Amino acid sequence: MWQIEPTTQWRRDARFYEKKHPNEMAAVMRNLERYVKQLEIAANSRSIASGYLHAEPLGVLAIDQKGGGGNLQETRLYTYADDVERIVYIITIGNKNSQASDIALSKDFVEALRRKAE
Amino acid sequence: MNTDLEKKGAARPTGKRYASVHDLLQGEKVTSDVQSKVAELGKETGLAEILANLRVAAGFTQEQAAERFGVSQSAISKLESGRDEDLTLGEIRKYAELSGQRIGLMLGKPLTHVEAVKVHALGIKSRLTALANLAHKDEEIERSIQGFFGEAFFNILDILSKCHQQLPHNAGFQLKVELIGVPSPLAKSAAILPESAGKAG
Repeated sequence: MWQIEPTTQWRRDARFYEKKHPNEMAAVMRNLERYVKQLEIAANSRSIASGYLHAEPLGVLAIDQKGGGGNLQETRLYTYADDVERIVYIITIGNKNSQASDIALSKDFVEALRRKAE
Repeated sequence: MNTDLEKKGAARPTGKRYASVHDLLQGEKVTSDVQSKVAELGKETGLAEILANLRVAAGFTQEQAAERFGVSQSAISKLESGRDEDLTLGEIRKYAELSGQRIGLMLGKPLTHVEAVKVHALGIKSRLTALANLAHKDEEIERSIQGFFGEAFFNILDILSKCHQQLPHNAGFQLKVELIGVPSPLAKSAAILPESAGKAG
């Protein structure tokens, strides 16, 4: 069974988004829920494709707000699925403006995780 | 730049793991407003999610499903990540065929427990009547159906008995169904049927 682990950064982001952008946060968390259910069925995390999923470098997967209704700000939840440990790390939440730095932060997280695993 | 958010630091694992998004939101004390919005979205996108899961479980990629349906991959992607109200019956039927599964749609007010039991009872009656009619075709089918009837009779009484025992004050009547060391389902039913059973018209 897959498990979800938040990072320290996600915790900080969540405090901000739940107050300032609750609809966007709900939409990406709902899509995370859909993604985790598919992980239980699929052969591995890389075989999952959907309109709300966006592949980023180093296996980072960004989950957007699609399906959450109209007039939502473009929002992405950055995740990384460890197929061996069956853990989905939820790294950070951001918007279009923070996209580049969010990807960089997520890549750093995955690199650190991989170094630790070696 | 996003001026709303503070500058982000490094992300580190927290070591806290959750079995579901629901547990995560509760465990991380996310506001009840967000939690109820996620639950609401779950209701609005539940069927689209089921369709996507059926496709994945059947081993089809979005591209393969698109080819079967005669549409583009992006159309499949849009459908599966969209809302239930945008789905058509034709699309749902295609997913049932693709996955080889049966999809039932229940719309409107949910049934009460009593209503649901009655609906199921009517369904069981209708299926058993159809089986009884089939049993007239030949002796082999009849033997098989007799066996099934015995098994079904035992199982239904067993379920009723076990559920009845969970009532707080169940002294009104006691229903006891026990397997009495008999080999076949048919024999099982014979053991718990009164002698007059099957003779009455």
